Order: sequence, then C-alpha cells, then structure tokens
Amino acid sequence: MPGMSMKLVLRDAGIGIALLLLIVFFSLSTEHFLTPNNISNILTQITINLILAIGMTFVILIGGIDLSVGSMLAFCAVVAGTVLTIPDFSVFQAVGLATLAALGTGVACGFLNGWISAFWGLPSFIVTLGMLNIARGAALQVTDARTIYSFPPSFNAFGSQMVFGVPVVFLIALALVAVAWFVLSKTVFGRLLYGIGNNEEAVRLAGHSLMFYKVAAFTIAGALVGIAAMVYMARLNIASPIIGIGFELNAIAAVIIGGTSLSGGRGTVIGTLLGACIIGVLANGLILFGLSDFMRQMITGVVIILAVIIDKYRERITAA
Amino acid sequence: MTHPDSGALHQAAAAEATRVPILDLHDVRKRFGGTVALNGVTLSVAPGEVHGLIGENGAGKSTLIKILCGIVKPDSGAIRLSGEAYEPQAPRDAKARGLQVVHQEFNLLPFLSVAENIFIEHLPRNLFGVVKRKDMNVGARSALDAIGLKDIDVSWPVERLGIAHRQLVEVARALMTDSRVLILDEPTATLTSRETDRLFTIINDLRSRGVSVIFVSHHLDEIFRICDRVTVLRNGETVFSRPIGETSHDQLVRAMVGQQLQKEMASEAISSAGKETVLSLVNFRHAQSPHVDGISLDLHKGEILGIAGLVGSGRTELLRAIFAAEQPLSGTRLRNGKPAPFRSPREAIQAGIGFMTEDRKEEGLIMTMPIAANVTLASLSSVSRVGLIDSKLENAMTEQLGADLKLKYGGPSRHAATLSGGNQQKVVLAKWLARNPQVLLLDEPTRGVDVGAKAEIYALIRRLAEKGLALLVVSSELPELMTLCDRIMVMSQHRIVGELARADFSEEKILTYAYQGERRHAGH
Ligand SMILES: Nc1ncnc2c1ncn2[C@@H]1O[C@H](COP(=O)(O)OP(=O)(O)OP(=O)(O)O)[C@@H](O)[C@H]1O
Ligand SMILES: [Mg+2]
Repeated sequence: MPGMSMKLVLRDAGIGIALLLLIVFFSLSTEHFLTPNNISNILTQITINLILAIGMTFVILIGGIDLSVGSMLAFCAVVAGTVLTIPDFSVFQAVGLATLAALGTGVACGFLNGWISAFWGLPSFIVTLGMLNIARGAALQVTDARTIYSFPPSFNAFGSQMVFGVPVVFLIALALVAVAWFVLSKTVFGRLLYGIGNNEEAVRLAGHSLMFYKVAAFTIAGALVGIAAMVYMARLNIASPIIGIGFELNAIAAVIIGGTSLSGGRGTVIGTLLGACIIGVLANGLILFGLSDFMRQMITGVVIILAVIIDKYRERITAA
Repeated sequence: MTHPDSGALHQAAAAEATRVPILDLHDVRKRFGGTVALNGVTLSVAPGEVHGLIGENGAGKSTLIKILCGIVKPDSGAIRLSGEAYEPQAPRDAKARGLQVVHQEFNLLPFLSVAENIFIEHLPRNLFGVVKRKDMNVGARSALDAIGLKDIDVSWPVERLGIAHRQLVEVARALMTDSRVLILDEPTATLTSRETDRLFTIINDLRSRGVSVIFVSHHLDEIFRICDRVTVLRNGETVFSRPIGETSHDQLVRAMVGQQLQKEMASEAISSAGKETVLSLVNFRHAQSPHVDGISLDLHKGEILGIAGLVGSGRTELLRAIFAAEQPLSGTRLRNGKPAPFRSPREAIQAGIGFMTEDRKEEGLIMTMPIAANVTLASLSSVSRVGLIDSKLENAMTEQLGADLKLKYGGPSRHAATLSGGNQQKVVLAKWLARNPQVLLLDEPTRGVDVGAKAEIYALIRRLAEKGLALLVVSSELPELMTLCDRIMVMSQHRIVGELARADFSEEKILTYAYQGERRHAGH
C-alpha cells in the first residue's frame, strides 16, 4: 500500500525532524550531550519506556488504553525475581524460568484485561484501572512488601552490556520495534487491528471476531510488560513491588507524541519509537541544560499537548 | 469547449441575464492533490427556483456543495450570494447567510435522541441554561409530523433508526431554520416513493415561499417532477444548464455521460433460478418483529429474489437477522436444507453468505483506510499467505473489481473517504463480490450509484446469478427490483403480504400490497 505508508512515512518524518532538532539544540547548547557516554545513557533510559510503549501502541490502535502496565511491571518483576533467587538452579535455568514467569504473568494479566473488557463490553480505561490496583496489590502480597535482590551477577552484567557503545537492552527493544512494525503493517492481524480502531462494526460484519483481536492486543501488551520487567531487573538488580509507578503515563505519552491517535486506528510503531526517543532526549537534555526536575516535568507536559495539537492540525489538512 | 451543448449553454446564459440570481457561481475550480474534482463550474440559481444538479458518480456535485457550505475551499472562481461576494470559511458562515445543507453522508449524533439532533443548533433553554426538554420534544414532534415521520418516537436515540429515517431527520433538522437556499444532496437515495412524495410536497411549499432549492439526484424522473431548471456536471465542468421544459430525458443522459448510453439490459432477462433451495427461513422472527409466526421464504440457486416494501416494513431487520448481525428471536434458518443456527456474521460468512449493508459510512466502509483494504476486508485469506498480506495480489484484485464496477478512483491505496458517494457504494459491493459467496444479501445495493454504472452492476449481478449465486435484494427503487429480480416479495409491517412472479411485475401491484398491510395496520 504505497499511498498509505507514504502518508504515514511523512507523519513519522515530521516527528523525526522534531527529534533531530532537539538533538541539534542540546548538542549545541550543552557540553556533554553528544558524548558517547551520554548517548548510551539516554538509550538505556529510553529502553523500558520504549518496550512498554510498543505494547501500548497495539492497545491504543484498537481504541483502547492500558493503565495497568506500571503495576503489571512490578508484579511481573517480583514473580520473576522470586524465581531468579531460588538457590538450587543454575544461572541459565534460573534466568530461563524467570523469563518464562515474567512473560506468563504479563500474558495472564493482559489476557484478563482484554477478555474482561471485550466480553462484557466495558471500557478498557475502567478495566485496566482495576488491574492497576489488582497487580500492585498482588505484587505487594507476594513479596510481603519486601524488595528482592542479589540476582546472579552474570544476569546483572547482561543488563549493562554494550555493543559498540549501544546498550544490548536497547537493541532488544529495537528488535521488538521491528517485529511490531512487521506485524502491524504486513500481516492480516495488523490490518484488522487498524480496522477495528477505525470501524469496529464494519470489521465484525466482514466476518472477523472482534473478541479475538481485542484480547490479542491486550495480551501482546502484557507480554511486553513481562519483557520490560526482565530488562528492569537486569539493569537495576532489584525487583520491588513498588517499581513502575506512573510508567503507564510515560508509555502513553510516547505513543501519543509518536502520532498515534487516542481514538484508535491511526499511528505506527516507528512513531512510538521516535516518541520514546523525544521523551528520553528531552529528559536528559534538560538536566544537562541545568533545569530542575520540576521544570523538566512541566516541559514534557507541554510537549505532549503540543504533539496532540499538531496532530489535530495535520489531520485537518490531510482531510481537506 | 467543443461539446455539442455549448450552443445551449450560450442560450441559457442569455436567458440568465434577465433573472437576478440569488446564488451565482462562476468558473469554480478545485483539485485534491492529483484529482481534479471541479474544473470550471458555472451555476446560477434564481430565487424560488428548484434547481436540479445531476451528473455521474464523481462528477463533482458533492464537492460543489461542500464548497458552498464552507467545508471545502475552492482553488479559484467567484461565488455571489444575493449579489454579494460569498466566501464561507466554515459551515457557520453559510448558515449565517441563509444557506442550509443536507449532506449526502449523514451528520447525526447517533447516541443523542432524535429531538436533540433536530434541535442541536439551538436547544431551547430556560434562564439557567437548562434544556427545556418538553418544548424540545414537542417542537421535534411537529417537525417530524410535517415531513410525515409519524412512526418514530422523538426520544429514541438516532442509533435505532434505519438510514431512510435518518435521512428524513436530517431534512427535518435543516427545515428548522428559515433559509434562503436549501441544498439537498441525494436526499431520495434511500427513500421509498411514499417519503419522496412527502419531501416533494415540502419542496413545493418552500418554492412558493421564495426559497431556492438545489436538488441532487440520480433519478431523472424526480428531476423532471420537481425541478424548474437542471444543470449537468461532467468531470467537474458545467456542460449543460436549461429550464426543465426545454430538455428531455435522453438529452440529460447524453450530457451526463458524454455519449449515448447503451440500451438498458433487456427486460426479459432469462431467469437462471434453479430448483435447489440454498436458503430457507421457517417462521423466522427477528427481535423487532411483532408477529409470532415470523417470516418464511425459500431462495433458490441462481435466483434473484427481491424484497419490496415501505420504509420501516422490516426489510433491513430481516436481512440482518439472516446474517446473524442481530440474533433472531425464533424460527429456523436452513442452508442447503440443513439447519444453520449461526451465532455471528463470521459463521454466516463461513457458510457462504455475504451481506452488503445499507449504511456504507457506519457499517460498510473503513473510511480512513485504503480502498484496497476495504475491498479485501471480507476475503483477507485469499490475498494472504500464512497471515502475510500479499499487497500485489490485493491491488490486482482491487483493480479487477474496480474495472468490473466502473469505479472512479485515484488508486487502490487512496483512502475510501476520497471517493464520491456512489463510488464508495461500489467499493462496498466489491468487498462482497471479492469473497465469492453462494448467497448474497444486498440492502440498497445501488444507493447513490449513477444510471450508467447501475446498468453495469445489474448486468454483473445477472452474470453472477447465471453462475449459481443466489441473491436476496432489498431496494426502495421499484424499477431496480423489477429489472433485476426473478421474483419479488412485498413486506409490510414485518410480514410478507404478497409475492409476484416476473410476469406479473408492476409498480402498481407492488404498491398495492405494500400499502394494503399499512392500511390494515392503521385500522387497528
Ligand atoms: N477529500 C478528497 N480527496 C481526494 N479526492 C476527492 C476528495 N473528495 C472528493 N474527491 C474526488 O473528487 C471527485 C468528485 O467527487 P464528488 O464527491 O464531488 O462527486 P459526486 O458528483 O458527488 O458523485 P456521487 O454521485 O457519487 O455522489 C471524485 O473523483 C472524488 O474521488
Ligand atoms: Mg456526491
């Protein structure tokens, strides 16, 4: 579909240019921004949000929203962390089983989110708000509110591994972006997610099961939370039931800045990648610039609103 | 310009000099990217005139209307309204200058009530800004009564209405404000003759009060019935404009198409209906049906069975229940003689049934997705391998069906929203043809499709029936049913009240049946 992707490419190009301008600005105005060290720093910081935002893109594309990813991250992490610290396993066994545990927990929570909202026709806003509390409570319950630490050293080393100055965990996130891009733009599955976001009834009357696709989108988001949880543990060497608070909002912000419409049916995961980069670059650059954390937060807020305004405006132009 | 009618155009221009037009357009042009939508439209409407605007699908009628109400800005050209320059920036400006529009695609708010929709522009409020619901409902009631919509409740959400009723609500809303110019873009495409007659009474009344009406339709008989003057657009240009008395049916067709139209398909088409029953209903009853015994019918292989009836007689509900878009209440559905208790459209489709819905905007198309994606939406498995879409195959299929249906489009990757109304309709049809079903339910299949393309579509449907496709066709156009069908059933008040074989077809007989049930009902 050359025309459709052309338009989307143009949209993404606009966001890409905004990102480039930011990078140029910070490179010129601060001393340390463009150093290899700082760059890998930024990439590390982006990684978790990016992985969560990929899953969020699937959910927002079908016109849903997932407010539970932050809590789910904590829940996945403590479950995986518990497995990881079982003393009898070898490192390989422990990490393998912990990954399965994180994925399984994420998939289960995501599936529930999707199934409950699709089966009872409830807004996903409400259902995932419930899950936000359930998963957080579960994480606290499982751990008795304690933090889990002292993971195998090699696991932790993997979290800070670099290839040519690029963090390995960021490369994993990039690979996930590539897979998600392929699924969304080349497969029947992706096509129908876009279709559902645009006109559910037309998709239903064309003989497709809405239930399946909705549940799948939330389940994919859950699986990505599981992966994000593993990355989090590898980097910070802890699993705590109170991590991830507010992460859902950052993930949503990345998706929205990346040009995906909150009402569904429109957007790309490449946009999400750029959106996550913009948030990461802004956060890092503004600190180097000497702004306080508070100012930084305000500016990020302004950027989110600006992104949506620009998007509205662009939509009006292309519609005419 | 060297087309045959330029002399006529000249004459008309001379005659126009003697009138003082209320609306005057000169050489209006508009292009969308590479598509030229308007290529020099000149049009003049006198006060109290009913002005017919006709042309093939994609000729530019709706674009012109969108320009007049400020939704689309023209690239060049001059527009004058009551002698003053007129450059609306938004629909608000058009309303302020006394210009009201009923668009081809509906703009109602589905979850608000009928009354709220009618009063949306000026809700009656008390001192504290609270809506005076009673006043609103009373006002809406009388507005609906005026256009003869007696059988719907003003407190119903618009969502509950079929498209014909929605169309009438749109008209009622436009009539709420006094306007100098009223523009109606294909208002009759979904109406049966009863509603059309009422609409024409209203138009006549407006005319006598000095209101000008621009009326778009693909039905030339309607143009001759109601219009004082007619203007023809072809490929975005005004090619013809004359008082109605000085033109003829054939002349208009020639002006629209640019050539002589082939003879309509022979009316004694040979029926290809076989003996095999592919679909039957036994005491089949959908949720809204008031009758316990429901509906029973048999559809045969290769047969084209029409369902006639007035708006609200339950035709759409029947098709939706057959397709399991809504769960039927009771009764049996048999497919090839075997019970077929579908629980979802998915299962109906797997059993070889297709259903083209009446409302292309809400149920048929995904407007902001490519035309190709819409065409293949119901047959994705045939353009994909292991879940991967083969876009070459998809585009080829789109181009093939586009050619079969004479689709006028920029390319398979353009959004469905960029198509003209009639062409959107063809895409919905293409979606089901792409699937190759054995039974096809069609609800208003040619709504908004122009005369020429209609003939092509009829021929295509015939060919498919000859190959064994069984069709159940609902249409508010009796000539359509009479050209196409082997047999027509007439519905009234959710019941089948009559059945006619092809030899007995006549509008009179069909209408007698249709109204008969109505009267019996009124007598209760
Ligand atoms: N937003 C748009 N973007 C691109 N092309 C458009 C757009 N709107 C209309 N067009 C094109 O402009 C041409 C005129 O369309 P228009 O809707 O005015 O036709 P119409 O005369 O109303 O046809 P119909 O009888 O089918 O309603 C068509 O070729 C259509 O594809
Ligand atoms: Mg039109």
